[in-house]
Amino acid sequence: MEKKKIVAFCCENSSLKAAEALSDPSLLEAVEIVALPCLGKIEIGLVLKCLEKGHPGVLVLGCPLDNCQYLRGNYRAVKRVERVRQLLGEAGLDESRVRMDFLSSLDSHRLAEILQGIKRSEA
Amino acid sequence: MITAVQKPFEEIYRMVEASGKLLILGCGTCVTVCMAGGEKEVGILASTLRLACRERGSSLEIEEATIERQCDREFFDPVKAQVLGADAVLSMACGVGVQFCSELFEGKRVLPALNTRFYGTTVQQGLWSERCAGCGTCVLDRFGGVCPVARCAKSLLNGPCGGAQDGKCEVDKEIDCGWQLIYDRMSALGLLDSLMEIQPVKDWSTGRDGGPGRIRRQDVEL
Repeated sequence: MEKKKIVAFCCENSSLKAAEALSDPSLLEAVEIVALPCLGKIEIGLVLKCLEKGHPGVLVLGCPLDNCQYLRGNYRAVKRVERVRQLLGEAGLDESRVRMDFLSSLDSHRLAEILQGIKRSEA
Repeated sequence: MITAVQKPFEEIYRMVEASGKLLILGCGTCVTVCMAGGEKEVGILASTLRLACRERGSSLEIEEATIERQCDREFFDPVKAQVLGADAVLSMACGVGVQFCSELFEGKRVLPALNTRFYGTTVQQGLWSERCAGCGTCVLDRFGGVCPVARCAKSLLNGPCGGAQDGKCEVDKEIDCGWQLIYDRMSALGLLDSLMEIQPVKDWSTGRDGGPGRIRRQDVEL
């Protein structure tokens, strides 16, 4: 059975653009990207379902705070990610399986670092 | 609506861990509106329980379903087979739904996932506040539409007490003094004079003091 990858929820307005501009696109093989129109669309149940389905982790990548096109989407995502981490803690799982980061569309180099880190940890 | 909050996860886990096959049953009415026991919350609790079971080596099998209401008989028909096929039902309804589900399925263990709180309203998303205590003898006409039974911590009909400060209740500074609200509302309505009237002792027998409530209307009986 194919090994499941970390799921990366990406905001279409920032981190997805950063992903498209990666100088080494092969880095994207480390994750399974799910594009969202705004990170405010992320749902607690969706993140938990990824882990339930056997994905080793979830990466939630949105715009820098105060830089959301829809004003509060990334703040809402922060709260939901905090809640997911709390639920994981209560269930006895490692809370760090869900990570969040904030990238602008110009932050391809930072995204590359994150993806390289994932590749290293899986090696 | 009837408001509720989810019980602590560990309490729920201890309740259900020995169940074998569990059906988590949501309710699509009040507890969906107060975001405690609707379809979305059923999914979240089911996922969290499955992850916890996997982590702790439990073989608990979990199914999910949500019906429109758990306080009316006819809505249970679509999930009858699922309920009968489960060893236990974890109901995400209010206390009414949990008990009614238990009554309908004799011999089936029905467990509560929520702590039922009060009859209230959504002040804003994520904030709910009590408005009615279900006392059975409504007095809102005398207090400008603000209930002294539900909104005064002491349920004073001849208030206020001496504990309120700056319009807030001495029980909790986050709670508005019910009598301040009554005074402000009656003032705005030009009805302050009527607050000088002494309210007689209230008959509490229509509320909790009268035992379990029961309404019988022969005009609508079939």
